[in-house]
Parts: sequence; structure tokens; C-alpha cells
Amino acid sequence: MSELQKGFYPHGDNAFIANFSESEREVLTNLSEQIIELLAERIDHQSDDPLAAMVGITSHDTPPEDEVLLRLLPNAYADQVDASEFRRYTESTLRQKKQGHAMAMRSNLIAAIDGVVEIDHDGANDWLGAINDVRLALGVRLKVEENLPEELQLLAPDDPMHGVYAVYSWLGWLQESLLEAVMNGSQ
Amino acid sequence: MVKVNEKVEEELRAIFSGDVPWITIVWDDPVNLMSYVTYVLMELFGFSKEKATELMMKIHNEGKAVVSTGSREEMERDVARIHEFGLWATLQRGDQQ
Repeated sequence: MSELQKGFYPHGDNAFIANFSESEREVLTNLSEQIIELLAERIDHQSDDPLAAMVGITSHDTPPEDEVLLRLLPNAYADQVDASEFRRYTESTLRQKKQGHAMAMRSNLIAAIDGVVEIDHDGANDWLGAINDVRLALGVRLKVEENLPEELQLLAPDDPMHGVYAVYSWLGWLQESLLEAVMNGSQ
Repeated sequence: MVKVNEKVEEELRAIFSGDVPWITIVWDDPVNLMSYVTYVLMELFGFSKEKATELMMKIHNEGKAVVSTGSREEMERDVARIHEFGLWATLQRGDQQ
């Protein structure tokens, strides 16, 4: 247990290590896959549309209706016309980059022998981005905007959101440990 | 025949007026950890920890902060890079703040 409570810690010049239990590894792998799939959904919907394919529209220009996807792929302009134009040219790249972060995290987890994950600076950026995307997604569902942390902590144990909040908090702790390792390790 | 759309026109105007009128704004978000916002600003913009922390605190306390200034094209690049790391940013003309 003592190793688990450390989260990530610096190892040498440019490496960061964490030791995950089997269940933690499973949860993280699962969440990374869900992020990858959620972002892929956005791609599928578009290729399902024969009219869009016919007229050669290769990218979305309207914001996602799903609240979680909208938080992951936000508008870049307050103005709707500008926002659509920007989205048309950039959204697929953004999706790929986000999927790339989640895929890197997933590969590290799958390759981890005895639950030990070792990453370098670039790997840390993948993990930080991927963990953050998961937290953003969970945050939308937990309505972190309206609900205070004290309220979320008081959710009844049989409320499914109670468990979701526990995962959300744990991810925040894990991300914080990696941030500390990266910021102190690189100085 | 040269075709000039609105964006190019703006760029041309900016070149001749010596203006760099576009800004990138990062908005506050209850999910992102304060240390994460600081780190992303350091990593993407090369800010010192001190400068990044100052901007993060401004975002936290005032709801938003301008993190970069430049041409529209440069600000679009900045916003895309910020979105990759899950902070919410928008760009706009600096004189419409």
C-alpha cells in the first residue's frame, strides 16, 4: 500500500514512475479506452452521413450535442460562424491528439510489468492530458460546475455518482502527483 | 487572379497598421487543477513558474486571463494547443475585449 499512496515520483533525470494495483490499472485502462471510443463516435457519426460524404465534407463544423464531447472539443470563438470555420479545419486534429494521449496511457498500462509504469517527459504530457480529459468528462457528469465538493462528498454510498466522484478525486490526486514529479524533477 | 478572403484581409490590414490585435483568453474551469493550469502554461508558452502561477491565479480569481497576443493565425495555433491539454481557450480581436 505504501507504494500506491505515492502516485508518480521522479526517477533519475527524465523518468517518472508509478506503481499501480491491478484494480487501479484496470480502471485507468478502461477509462482511457472510453475516451478513445467517445472521440471515435464523433468520427463515425460523420461518415455515416452519405450526403456529407457525397459533398466532400470531411470534418464537423457544428459543436457536439453531447455535453461531454463539447467539453473535450470546445468552441474556439464566441462568434458561431468563426467557431464553425475553425472547427471544420481543426477538430479532427484535436480529436487525434486527444486519442493519442489516451492511447499512450493505455499502452503504458498494458505493458506495465507488476503494475509499474515508467514514463519520460513526453509520456508525462500524454498522461497529464489523458487524465485531464477523463476528469473533464466525469466532471460534466458530476455537474462539478453547480455542485460543491462538500455536496459531492456527501452523496449516499449507494448513489452511483458516489463511486464516480471517488474515481474523479483519485484521478485528481494521481494527476497532482505527476505534476509535482514533473515540475520538481525538471528544475 | 488573387483571391483574398476576410482572414487574409485582416492579416494585410494588421501588417500595414503595425497592429497585432488578436488575443488568446483562457477561461476558468472548476475541474482543472490549479497546478495543472500552471504547468500547461509553462509547457506551451515557456513561461517561468512565477509568471505561469500569476496567470493561473488571474484565471482563477477573475474567471479569465489573456495568455498570448499576436496575429489571428498565431492565436488560432495557441488555442488549438491549449485545447489539446483540456483548458478552455478562445481567441478574439484585442480591441473587442
